[in-house]
Formats: sequence, C-alpha cells, structure tokens
Amino acid sequence: MAKIAGGDKSAMRILVDRYKEKAYYLALGMVGNSDEAYDISQDAFIRVFKSAGKFVPGSRFFPWFYSIISNLCKDTLARRMKKEAPNINIDDCEFLLVDEATPESTVMREERAAEVRRAIMKLSFEDREIIMLKHFRDMSYDEIATLLKIPKGTVMSRLYYARKKLAGLLDEFN
Amino acid sequence: MTEKNYKIMLSGYIDGELSPEENTEFENYLKSDPELQKELETFRKLKEVTGAMKYADVPEVVWENYWASLYRKLERGLGWIFLSIGVIIFVAFACYHLVQDFFLDTGQPIILKIALACGILGVIILMVSIIRERVFASTHDRYDEVQR
Repeated sequence: MAKIAGGDKSAMRILVDRYKEKAYYLALGMVGNSDEAYDISQDAFIRVFKSAGKFVPGSRFFPWFYSIISNLCKDTLARRMKKEAPNINIDDCEFLLVDEATPESTVMREERAAEVRRAIMKLSFEDREIIMLKHFRDMSYDEIATLLKIPKGTVMSRLYYARKKLAGLLDEFN
Repeated sequence: MTEKNYKIMLSGYIDGELSPEENTEFENYLKSDPELQKELETFRKLKEVTGAMKYADVPEVVWENYWASLYRKLERGLGWIFLSIGVIIFVAFACYHLVQDFFLDTGQPIILKIALACGILGVIILMVSIIRERVFASTHDRYDEVQR
C-alpha cells in the first residue's frame, strides 16, 4: 500500500489483478447488474488508490476494501431507488444461473434461477449481503465476521433471519 | 437457553459452525421441537437450491481489458481535475480583470457596462437553467437506457 500511495503503477496492477474478480462478484451480488458491478469494482480501486496514504500499515486490506465496495453498492442502489422509474429492470439481469450440471430441464433451470434472483433482490441490503457472502461466496462465519466487523454470533443470527426471509419469498417453500 | 437462541443456532448447525458441545445440545433440543425440525428442512432445501446456482460467467476478454479500462478511468479523472482547476483559475482571473479594467473604469460609457452586465447575467441564467434541466432529465428519464 505504501508503494501504491507513492504512485507505483506496477503495485497498483498487482493489487487489481489480485482482487478484481472478488470485487466484481461481491458488487454483483449486491446490485444484481453486471455493468454496475463492473463500474463499482473499478471505482472501488480508484478510491483505494486515492486514499492509499490513509491505510493503516499492518491492518488487513480486504475488510477495508470491502467496506468501500459495500458503500459504493449502497450509493448505487440509493440512486436507483431515487429514480421515479428505475431504468434497470433487475428481472432481466441474469447475474445468477442454475448450474447446468443439475438434472433439470433448461426451462426449469431458468425459471428457478429467475425466481431466486427476484427473491434475493427483494431482500434488504443487509440480508442480501449476508446471504451472498455465505451462499454464493462460501465464506466461513469467521471470514464474514471479519469482513463485516461484527461478532460471529451476529453473523449467525443475521443469517438465520435472512434465510427465513429468503425462504418466505420463494414459492417452493410456501 | 431459550427457544429463540436455538432457532438462531439453526444457521450455525447447518453450516457446521457450532462447537461439538453446541452441536450435541442443539441436536438434543431439536428432537423435542417439531417446528424447528421443519425449519431445519426448509434451510437445508434452501442451501441445496442456492448451492446449485452460480454467478454468470464473465467473458475472459473483460478481465484482460480490466486494467486498461481502469487506468483510462484514472487518467481521465486526473485530466478532469486539472481541467477544472485551470478553468476556475482562468474564470476568476477574467472576472477580476473585467471588474478592475472595465466596470471600475470611469472612462467606459455606462450604457456599455449595463449591456455587458445584462449579457453576463443572461448567460448565467441560461447556464443554470440548462444544467438544472440536464440534472432533472438524468434522474427522471425513464428511457435513458434506450439506444437511440
């Protein structure tokens, strides 16, 4: 980070190559739109470069980076909500797909994926965040706790309520 | 431990995040609570459903061009900052000299000063109006994603 703060281009590139996919997929899970997720991931790196000097040496990079991504996602969603007619139809954004290896027909796979996508996007930001981290990034409770700066017990309770809400939004569970 | 606590432990149980003691305690309680058993089944099924899903793949070319695209953004951001600083300094300098050398100059005809002041005021009003319209359109245009 010290090198980045000093404007070292190769250090910037190493950081970007290491975290670009993580940043993109984390943002994608929150906003559900690939173009917006791409922009958010890039804006997050720009913010990192601009404030690299403020980074406390010895502290962990990824939780800090994640908080930047999370804030950018919140801003994007707030802007989307502010528009009288949101110009992005989230139902059309196929950011999550059912794995082709599942023994289901293509139609059934697509229907199921669409239903899960819709249900996830109906969750609050906090619920969606914890669901995406656990179910789609496969993180442990310790990793989530570090990332969100919350105790492990809170991860468990947030997951319980988020799962309950998600199941309530899916037809096959009702 | 309360019923609510066992419910919350349900998440830890299906994710394998409970300690061996907590696991045993939870399993003992589970036998006596049919509602919790039902909820356990729901959560297991939910995990199965989401486990069969994955993020849509991103074409490799997107990752190949990622750094170049990010660097362009950085460069342009820097360009805009310098351009803005330059314009602000230039406008401030021009305004200062306009006031000093023209409006405060007693040798200039008063009618010319009024004409120029009206012209400047008109330009400012028009610019504010256009900027306001653009901002309003960008936040309210429901067709701005449609390619024309």
